[in-house]
Amino acid sequence: MAKTQGAWADAYRSKWTWDKVTWGSHSVDCYPGGCPWRVYTKDGRILREEQSGTFPTIEEGVPDMNPMGCQKGASWSHCHYSPDRVTHPLKRVGERGEGKFEQVSWDVALTEIADGILDAIESDGAASIINLFTPEPGAAPARMFSEALGLPMTDGNAEFQDFSPGWHLTWGLFNPTSSMDDWFLAELTLIWHANPVYTNIHWYHYVAESRYNGGEVVTIAPDYSPSAIHADYHLPVRIGSDAALALSMCKVIIDAGLYQKQFVQEQTDLPLLVRTDTGRFLRGPEVSAGEREDQFYWWDTHSGTLAMAPRHTLATMGVDPALEGRFTVMLVNGTTVEVEPVFARLRRRLEAYEPEKAAEICEVSPENIRTLARKVATRKTKIFVGWNSGKYYHGDLIERAMALLLGLTGNWGKKGTGTRSWAISAMDGEIFIPGKESPGQEAAQRQIAGLIAMRRLLTTSDPTLTLEMIQNRMMALANDMPQGPGLGMPPAFLWYYQYGYKDRWNDPENHDPSYPRSFDEYMNIAIEKGWWDPRFSKVYQNTKPRVLFEAGGNVLRRQRGGQKLLLENLWPKLNLIVSVDYRLTTTGLYSDYVLPAAQHYEKLGHSMPSVHHLNYVLCDRAAAPVGEALPDLEIGFRLLEKIEERAAARGMTEFTDARGQRRPLAGLSDHISHKGALRDEEKRTDESIRDSAVYGVLPKGTTLGTLRDKGFVRWTNWGHVLHGTSQASTIEPDEVHNPLRWHTEDKIPYDTLVRRAQYYIDHEWFLECGEELPSHKEPPKQGGGKRRFQMTSGHNRWSIHSMNMTNDIILNTHRGEPFVFINDKDAKSLGIENGDRVKLVSNVGEARYAAKVSPAVRPSQVIVYNGFEPYMHEGWTSQSDLEPGHVKPLGLAAGYGHLSYRILSWQPIPADRAVRVDVEKVS
Amino acid sequence: MASNLVGRMRDGAVIRPKRQLAMVFDLNKCLGCHTCAMACKTQWTSGEGMDAMWWTVVNTQPGRGTPRDWEKMGGGFDASGEARSGQLPTREDFGDAWEFNHEEVFQGGKGTSVHLRPRTNPTWGPNWDEDQGGGEYPNAYYFYLPRLCNHCTHPACLEACPRSAIEKREEDGVVLLNEDRCKGYRFCAEACPYKRIYFNATRGISQKCIFCFPRLEKGVAPACARQCPGRLRFVGYRDDPNGPIWKLVDKWKVALPLHAEFGTEPNVFYVPPLAPPRHDAAGRPDRDKPRIPIEYLRSLFGDGVDQALETLRAEMEKRRRGEESELLRTLIVYRWPKDIFPDFPNDPASVEGRSA
Repeated sequence: MAKTQGAWADAYRSKWTWDKVTWGSHSVDCYPGGCPWRVYTKDGRILREEQSGTFPTIEEGVPDMNPMGCQKGASWSHCHYSPDRVTHPLKRVGERGEGKFEQVSWDVALTEIADGILDAIESDGAASIINLFTPEPGAAPARMFSEALGLPMTDGNAEFQDFSPGWHLTWGLFNPTSSMDDWFLAELTLIWHANPVYTNIHWYHYVAESRYNGGEVVTIAPDYSPSAIHADYHLPVRIGSDAALALSMCKVIIDAGLYQKQFVQEQTDLPLLVRTDTGRFLRGPEVSAGEREDQFYWWDTHSGTLAMAPRHTLATMGVDPALEGRFTVMLVNGTTVEVEPVFARLRRRLEAYEPEKAAEICEVSPENIRTLARKVATRKTKIFVGWNSGKYYHGDLIERAMALLLGLTGNWGKKGTGTRSWAISAMDGEIFIPGKESPGQEAAQRQIAGLIAMRRLLTTSDPTLTLEMIQNRMMALANDMPQGPGLGMPPAFLWYYQYGYKDRWNDPENHDPSYPRSFDEYMNIAIEKGWWDPRFSKVYQNTKPRVLFEAGGNVLRRQRGGQKLLLENLWPKLNLIVSVDYRLTTTGLYSDYVLPAAQHYEKLGHSMPSVHHLNYVLCDRAAAPVGEALPDLEIGFRLLEKIEERAAARGMTEFTDARGQRRPLAGLSDHISHKGALRDEEKRTDESIRDSAVYGVLPKGTTLGTLRDKGFVRWTNWGHVLHGTSQASTIEPDEVHNPLRWHTEDKIPYDTLVRRAQYYIDHEWFLECGEELPSHKEPPKQGGGKRRFQMTSGHNRWSIHSMNMTNDIILNTHRGEPFVFINDKDAKSLGIENGDRVKLVSNVGEARYAAKVSPAVRPSQVIVYNGFEPYMHEGWTSQSDLEPGHVKPLGLAAGYGHLSYRILSWQPIPADRAVRVDVEKVS
Repeated sequence: MASNLVGRMRDGAVIRPKRQLAMVFDLNKCLGCHTCAMACKTQWTSGEGMDAMWWTVVNTQPGRGTPRDWEKMGGGFDASGEARSGQLPTREDFGDAWEFNHEEVFQGGKGTSVHLRPRTNPTWGPNWDEDQGGGEYPNAYYFYLPRLCNHCTHPACLEACPRSAIEKREEDGVVLLNEDRCKGYRFCAEACPYKRIYFNATRGISQKCIFCFPRLEKGVAPACARQCPGRLRFVGYRDDPNGPIWKLVDKWKVALPLHAEFGTEPNVFYVPPLAPPRHDAAGRPDRDKPRIPIEYLRSLFGDGVDQALETLRAEMEKRRRGEESELLRTLIVYRWPKDIFPDFPNDPASVEGRSA
């Protein structure tokens, strides 16, 4: 190729030169991505990054994953040198939020923080120190002291609310999801409560390519969303009415006999028998003395007799369980009761969802309902769902209805089917380092032998326990261990008593009016019955939070209910607020200390373990941290060491931790670092990778060195940490991942109360609220019943939460300020033109935006995509200040099989969708 | 420079390069994510005077685009080959480059009385009308249109430059602006009907997309194409019968030039957008007319758009019946990079980047 000559041409050639290339990724919670990048540096400064594009083909006939990345990743290097970068430890000198800080030395900052933590332990006890679990794995090591001292840590799935309660209720699993390449194999993809054109930029091509592979895409959304434009059909559903649509399709499928009978009999609870007098499942002790409480029954049509549904397998074992009919059963006490299968009850429930009736609720035409139902019943169907549904008050019902649609049609546990949601795994090597006896891989082998022995021990009480069940039980045991690490804590009780939510949750407008009890009644019953550990449910009635520690998170942007609520109720109680971050967030501006963390190309680590692509992706150091910033691991160690040093100076040798156990205040950092042998970032990372290879998560022989060559490596197994096994499928080297295959192929029971996919929840509250079966219910009129608009939301295109929102390159690619989408006719009726400033008002607050006027928005809908920092809004009030931040009280239901607290799973979670607002033009 | 006559009209015919590099953008895969724009920005336009430059942009259509109302700014050639007069877009038309008051918010000590915002009150930006579109709910419509220099076969910019600073390379047809010769007269920017030439006020020169020629020299695809996660930017030689460009443009005729009537023979081609059917008054699919008005698509992509869309639909229908389709295999891109830019498959990290 002839070369263009000239100084100007050489100047461009020179622009594309570098001194060094390193592997990089972003150890953040981005849906979760963790794309492999190459980072180019010159003169010690990061120039730019580019996706590696080096993924191999996994399954023949399926496109590869290249070049995985997005625009945020492609401009991440710019954030390293942004004006919001924190470069030195900062100490507040003005009022909180005033933005007046002075630079202090690391030693001064850490000494004062350590003293503040010890002061709080002495004055108010360990529970007064609140560590916020935020999902940025790169920042987690900064919270090391909290793990070492066994302090409470708020549960992330309430904190950031990416939980799908309906999946948990149905499968007892944390977000079973397929790898993204499996999307290509779907014959029908329903994009439903998701907007992957914004939120799955790195992977969306599989959806587009599935259409070219013969698949069809249907987007179900109130607005003509960016993900509707590439669909084969768009169904403009009324906001929050999706359960009616799903249930109507279920009715069409059942009426037409299109349901997969064998799948239904085997995988679901639909054949299990329910007493017609109580509405409760027929249980073991009712039928025979000494039988298990969790033994359930079905009716064998072959023999015409009652039969025990096996607990150890999903296989029907030669039985043909009845789905219809009523039967009389003699109880152990000699009386008889009438029973019927759940399926029969479901059919009656579905009478309300005849397409013509459902169309009145969901505003999708009966023709469209019928057509789509038949397609779902006859094609490999995947519901591409995000985290949107779970953020509706009745999101659990919406998700249960979706799961019912899939269950009736046999659409899970095989390629191209199931749901897609957020799912993570974990790297065993990293998690178990502190627990090992000593450095080295022999100790890792002993560690794993110990874990396996513990698993065996658990099965001695019940040999039918499955791996998923054992993992869940081990996770619960770890939380109860006397000298265990940080105490996972559902934060709802803390919020209720200390954040100022009590009035809001009891406001009738925020509460489902059909419920027979007030919110407080549910709360009090849950606490009295002991359904929730008193360490969570009772402690915060009296203990006031004194220290708030936020690493890599931004609670004042994130918290549903708004920063104003927290500033008024929580902030005055706090004696110490610390933010560890590489940038100044709104929370940082309201903190007493801001500690400068290294950016993602300035430290060693890995991206969030993502089930969507199943790779360990290395984040290497491309450049030294700017200013005095330090890697989070170093911050974590220094703070813990300082706490030990200050404790010794104060003569504090031990303290009572949040579990009520005495715990020493010395030797903690030595334990975690193995007496310094694994304190260094380089050594510790290499050790964790080598250990992960021992644990079978990574291929044998994987080291930091091999990863520096290739940048990433595909997992070989899930390991021993809970969330991987929630996928319930084996990782195959040459196949896409689709979850739940252990259940559909190997007939292994689910970890639900009834050990099957459970649609019938006979918990007393679910029965009294009419939610024992999937149903449609209107969301309460939170925000104000008379207000004209419903606000929906979702992740925006331009940021991962607020992380990239202040990147001024990215700011130039939208309006550069927070905006709200409003329908053109609605805007006209209010005299609002494109670009006008408008005020959104709810019962709890207001926020101002630039109006974007579009016919793609549903009338009476306004869309505020989230991620904007409160400090980007006038007066710093943002979207979350419009949200009451209420929770659905049935999330407090427990003491029932899989309805009990599990970390990152079942617990009360806030609802923030469909908030009622008014829109006013402001001059 | 400019010793050749490639790209100029001589004796009623345009002198053509030996080969022509071209791009095809599949609009049915485009997410409007701007990764292309970021890739270009971080690679090339971060230097002095370049802050407002986005050599490649993505806009929501229908919309006013970047620069604002560029389609009405003239330039190019009329049907008889005569140059049409064109308008010079201003920095504001392009959307400026907003600066923000970071210091005031972070260090100003003013608390909530100030908030982070552009220092000016912008009324336009490079992606101002994002996701607004046209039509009427529930039958609204929009799609994303990525644009960059079209490396035209008959570049109006080249013909307009009195300094002969613009060259169309003989070996690959890439159009380059010699910044050493450029005096910043901006006749090129006036003449370009696609308004893809920016002015660097600091350096007093015009600047535009360079088709990543330093990357091409190393067998590496242009950054906007190689970094596109939607896998929709095909790059290759127009005349390669085994390559995706020829297949999509010439064989299957599903990739069409944008505003061919501008007369410059652009070398960026677009697979036009499909859209879900409209809803009739009862909410049923209404196939009597398409969601995106066909007249609108014709105004962008010419009369070939009807057939292109029909071909796409027919092939997709075929595939749903389980039959093979060469067209769809090409659009899927099973093996990246060889299926999408076969002539530029190199990994940039594998080339020696250290300057001498």
